[in-house]
Amino acid sequence: MEEYPEELRTPPVALVSLVGCAEHHALISSYLNAERPPINTLALPDLSKIVLLLSKPIKSDPLSGDNVGILKKDWLLKHRTRVPAIAAAFFNSDRVSGDPAQWLQVCSDIENLKNVIRPKNIKLIVAVVQSSANDEISEDRMTLMRKRAEIDTKYLVVFNASDDLHLKQSLDRLGSTFAELANVYYKEEGMKVKTRVEKKSFNSHELNVRYCFKVAVYAEFRRDWVEALRFYDDAYHILREMAGTTKKLPLIQCLVQIKTVAEQLHFKTSTLLLHGGKVVEAITWFRQHIVSYRRLVGPADVAFLHWEWMSRQFLVFAELLETSSKAIPGNSNIALGAADLALSEWEFQPAYYYQFAAHYLKEKRTSLDLSLTMSETADEIDRNAESVVPSIYVGQFARLLELGDSLIMQSLTDEEYTRYAFSERKRFQDSSEITAFLKKAYETFTNLKAQRMACFCGFHMAKEYFVAGDLSNAKQLLDGVVLLYRQEGWVTLLWEVLGYLRECSRKCGTVKEFVEYSLELAALPVSSDSGIQSFRRNECGPAGPASLAQREIIHKEIFELVSGETRLASVEGNTDHKVNEETPLHLDIDLVSPLRLVLLASVAFHEPMIKPGVSTLITVSLLSQLPLTVDIDELEIQFNQSECNFIITNSERPSAAISSGQKGCRVESAPLALNTNRWLYLTYAIKPEQSGKLECTYVIAKMRSHFTICCGAESPASMEDLPLWKFEDRVETFPTRDPALAFSGQKAAQVEEPEPQVDLILGAAGPALVGECFTFPVTVASKDHAIFSGELKINLLDVKGGGLFSPREAELFSTDSHHVELLGVTGPEGEDESLMGPDKIKKIQQSFGLVSVPTLRDGESWSCKLQIKWHRPKPAMLFVSLGYFPDSNESTSQRIHLHKSLQIEGKTAVVFSHQFMLPFHQDPLLLSRIKSVPGSDDLASLPLNETSILVISAKNCSEVPLLLQSMSIEVDGGIERPCTLEHSAMDILFPAHLVPGEEFKKVFTVIPEVESSSVDLGSVSLRWRRDSEMEVLSTSAATQEWVLTKHKLPDVKVELPPLVLNREVPPYAVLGDPLMYLIKIRNQTQLLQEVKFSLGDAQGFVLSGCHSYTVFVLPKSEHTLGYKLVPLASGPQQLPQVTAISARYSAAFQPSIAASTVFVFPSKPQFKTTDIGDNKLEPVAAE
Amino acid sequence: MIVCVAVVGHQNNPLYIQSFTEADDALKLHHIVHCSLDVVDERVNNPKKSGLTLNETFLGLLYPTENYKVYGYLTNTKVKFILVTTDLDVRDADVRNFFRRFHAAYVDAVSNPFHVPGKRITSRTFAERVSNIVKSFGLSSAG
Repeated sequence: MEEYPEELRTPPVALVSLVGCAEHHALISSYLNAERPPINTLALPDLSKIVLLLSKPIKSDPLSGDNVGILKKDWLLKHRTRVPAIAAAFFNSDRVSGDPAQWLQVCSDIENLKNVIRPKNIKLIVAVVQSSANDEISEDRMTLMRKRAEIDTKYLVVFNASDDLHLKQSLDRLGSTFAELANVYYKEEGMKVKTRVEKKSFNSHELNVRYCFKVAVYAEFRRDWVEALRFYDDAYHILREMAGTTKKLPLIQCLVQIKTVAEQLHFKTSTLLLHGGKVVEAITWFRQHIVSYRRLVGPADVAFLHWEWMSRQFLVFAELLETSSKAIPGNSNIALGAADLALSEWEFQPAYYYQFAAHYLKEKRTSLDLSLTMSETADEIDRNAESVVPSIYVGQFARLLELGDSLIMQSLTDEEYTRYAFSERKRFQDSSEITAFLKKAYETFTNLKAQRMACFCGFHMAKEYFVAGDLSNAKQLLDGVVLLYRQEGWVTLLWEVLGYLRECSRKCGTVKEFVEYSLELAALPVSSDSGIQSFRRNECGPAGPASLAQREIIHKEIFELVSGETRLASVEGNTDHKVNEETPLHLDIDLVSPLRLVLLASVAFHEPMIKPGVSTLITVSLLSQLPLTVDIDELEIQFNQSECNFIITNSERPSAAISSGQKGCRVESAPLALNTNRWLYLTYAIKPEQSGKLECTYVIAKMRSHFTICCGAESPASMEDLPLWKFEDRVETFPTRDPALAFSGQKAAQVEEPEPQVDLILGAAGPALVGECFTFPVTVASKDHAIFSGELKINLLDVKGGGLFSPREAELFSTDSHHVELLGVTGPEGEDESLMGPDKIKKIQQSFGLVSVPTLRDGESWSCKLQIKWHRPKPAMLFVSLGYFPDSNESTSQRIHLHKSLQIEGKTAVVFSHQFMLPFHQDPLLLSRIKSVPGSDDLASLPLNETSILVISAKNCSEVPLLLQSMSIEVDGGIERPCTLEHSAMDILFPAHLVPGEEFKKVFTVIPEVESSSVDLGSVSLRWRRDSEMEVLSTSAATQEWVLTKHKLPDVKVELPPLVLNREVPPYAVLGDPLMYLIKIRNQTQLLQEVKFSLGDAQGFVLSGCHSYTVFVLPKSEHTLGYKLVPLASGPQQLPQVTAISARYSAAFQPSIAASTVFVFPSKPQFKTTDIGDNKLEPVAAE
Repeated sequence: MIVCVAVVGHQNNPLYIQSFTEADDALKLHHIVHCSLDVVDERVNNPKKSGLTLNETFLGLLYPTENYKVYGYLTNTKVKFILVTTDLDVRDADVRNFFRRFHAAYVDAVSNPFHVPGKRITSRTFAERVSNIVKSFGLSSAG
């Protein structure tokens, strides 16, 4: 678009000439320029200049006489820069109103101006410039002037520049007047030409076109777009009819002229349409433009001119579309109605046109090259082309001849013109332009996500680069393109692209890539019967025609190269490349490689689980789509366990076997000829030794002595279809002989661990007791395996899962947060800790332990003891796992693991209970017992300063007999006890045996010394241990630890009883012997106490004394009631029932029946009195 | 004149592509068919913008290029038919009629129990039938 002249590219702007009063011109010019629509000005300082401008004699053109051209080249420019619509003459007011001489000068100036402009019909405006406000011009002078100038009143303007306000008003007036009058001028001019068009007052099509063009341009000056469009359209159509009919010019030049004019007309039309927002119309118009001129190629030797012209049409339209879509943003998303379906999406995209611009430019280059080769020598062309210049008509050329001083234009013959055109075009390098257009299209299509169009452009771009020798750029683009074609399976297109890539790598001398592309080409699904037509030689790319024969040629070529028979001649550096010892070639084929077509390796284990040391079968299958049979020299199968690797050599090529012997691994032999699309099955036995995953990783095929292909092994069960070939209708076979294996076979198998030949024995010795250090024997006994570097892992877990640790309880018992705790591990008897050695591991945590096991020979055993302590009665799970090597060489042998677990209960060993008792027959009145306040705690009450008895019993609730060492009451924290607490014996001298369920009791006396609502009595400490047979026998019984169990006694309440009732009865009675039954009431208060007293009858006794009585007990004194009783019956007899009621406390006292029984002997018993001495304090063990 | 017809599968892979020109432009036609798939994608993904109605199989003119016009058709199984013609004035009805017949031929071809769906169509009968349909293009309505 830039090559068009400025006046064509921009809409025409009215031109006004300012004459005289040059000091105001700049101001007026800038004002008019800023107007909407703008007006250009032609500022002339004085009148003589305009005379020069307009009366310039028309240059005597040698060809001007006969109208052989259509449009004059400078006509538009002339009207835009040289021929004003209006001449505005400015006169100073002092000259107008000055002396007669000045006035006469003004009049003659006007007259001269009129004479100059009248022939051209240029409008005249006379402006009187008032430089100050008080410049008054007489009315008659003005009228005279108007008459002199022969203009309307309104075209005689007063320009007042005296102040800003007046200036603005003047400028406005001037502007509007200019606009109006310019419009009139262009309209009149247009009408003048239009009548000629309508009257058809011309004798040639050329004039018709020219007139129409002029009308349209005048209309454009007036901004009458509709008329402009109509006349451009007319001109265009008349011009099209001219093609082939006009004979005024030689044929080629005629065509060139028509096309050049058509181009201009088309450009004007498109611009107008696009600026008017009529995108659809513009595109339709363009399409018609192309259709009507496309076939107008002209003579074959100048066809390049046509293609160049076509390319320019597309380029210009693309640029127009691009600028207009930028200017009108809503443009791009014009919804296509059903009616507009004739226009497709891409036609709205500039990229579409850029692509065609490139296409036609290419076409041009091709035909230019063709014409050049056919024409004469280049020198002659160049000489002939000298002094040919564009003629005054658009699209015409002429020879400029110097004849003396004058220059003469001489018309050209077609032959001359052709030579000129050749020499002109030869100077241009089209390649860069083609690439630039394609690049624009490529980028736009990529942004539009039209990847195929983008690929198409990219491919053509790459071809350009390729031709230009820019191989790296070509390769980069082709690499992108090839991906899409591979993915979508467009084999023919892929073939072409690969051919270019192959050539690129050949030229760059990269042997590996060359071989890769060649192999891919050879393996493409192209065959004579595939339904794809083969292309003729001149159309196809460097790869040659896509055919089976060509594939075979490529195949042979490559195998000759890799076997070192031929060399790869590269362009760069002129060096040859060869595959030999120094430069061996190695290709990798992975799961996504396009070379899977060339070699596909499927590996299937016949069994998913393998026992170590047991041989299993593996099938290696190879498939190739190369067109000819491939002989593999050697096949190496690699596993992740390298000792399983093996090599298969080709039994039919014995020469190849030489190289394989070095590696020292297994070598097999088989025929290794790989036929097209036929699986080669190879089944072998392998014997894995190591446990774990055994995976076949690579299959490496050695084809010739310096060429290897490393192919990633694939599982038949999860194998992807072959790319490209999956779309082909070919015979598909299974990668294994067994079809079932083809669906399930995997390239990896699991090798099991060897069976442990070792026993791990957990000796469980019943439930554990809370508090004790429970020892737990673990024995490792070797059966068939020796144990090296053994490790014993111990884990303690909660049975319910989770740890033996609960965070909530941890807060309460932060000291022993683990309910079950692993304290330690002791080795077997006699094994010293130092013998374990410094390198032996021993790690003990609360629930985890790690112990190393010493080296054990076959048949030996080793044991250790775990010490576990339960803090709570809770079952726990013990996991013990042993890991070891059966071999002293750790690197070769496999670690074997053995696991055992056991659930162990933790039980409470001893349950405590306690009981408070009062001395026999003594009853204090404890007020708290009477008036039990609801809500108060139920603490036991003890009378102050009285002796109370505390019986503590410990019951064995475990299932094993226990041995008790001692029981004592200890005060926690060493606080002084507010009571005397004695127990009957210091310690248990001989440990007491306690069988399961048995209870051990101990009596303590308590004398509270301080009255208190809560007295801490301390806690009971019991030392015990298991009483097992073994321990008795073993000498270590003494060293066995005593377990200390503590039991907190509840707090008691101590209060002073106001009354204490004592009953005194002999311990026994004899039938018929009277006895005294004394009842003592002690008043411990400062008050007089009234006690009502009654005594009931009893069957076994006769009694004396009153039955009912009221006594008053003095403060701090004691009252005694005495009764004499005579027993009447023997045996345990009920004493008479005593009831005492304290009036003050309204509390009744009645002793229990059990506490008021006395045994009556039938006769006086004979006691053997022995000295019971210390034994009287012996605690009584009772059921 | 029809210069090329193509059947394009789900992965935009060519299932059948046949050109009917004497000139050496088969490869160019392959490129044209391949590029037209972009327009098909665009039409199918933005049916509203393209003015396509629901269940309409005929996609209309995909794009004009150089001397060709490319038409598209999308079957109910999302298989694409592409037609490249050199005729400048093509009646919609003709193209629709062509595609209808072509579709019928395609359905017959893939109904062959030995045909694996998604694979290239290699049936000779199909090729002959297509050739006949191509030859008779535009004749029925013109006559």
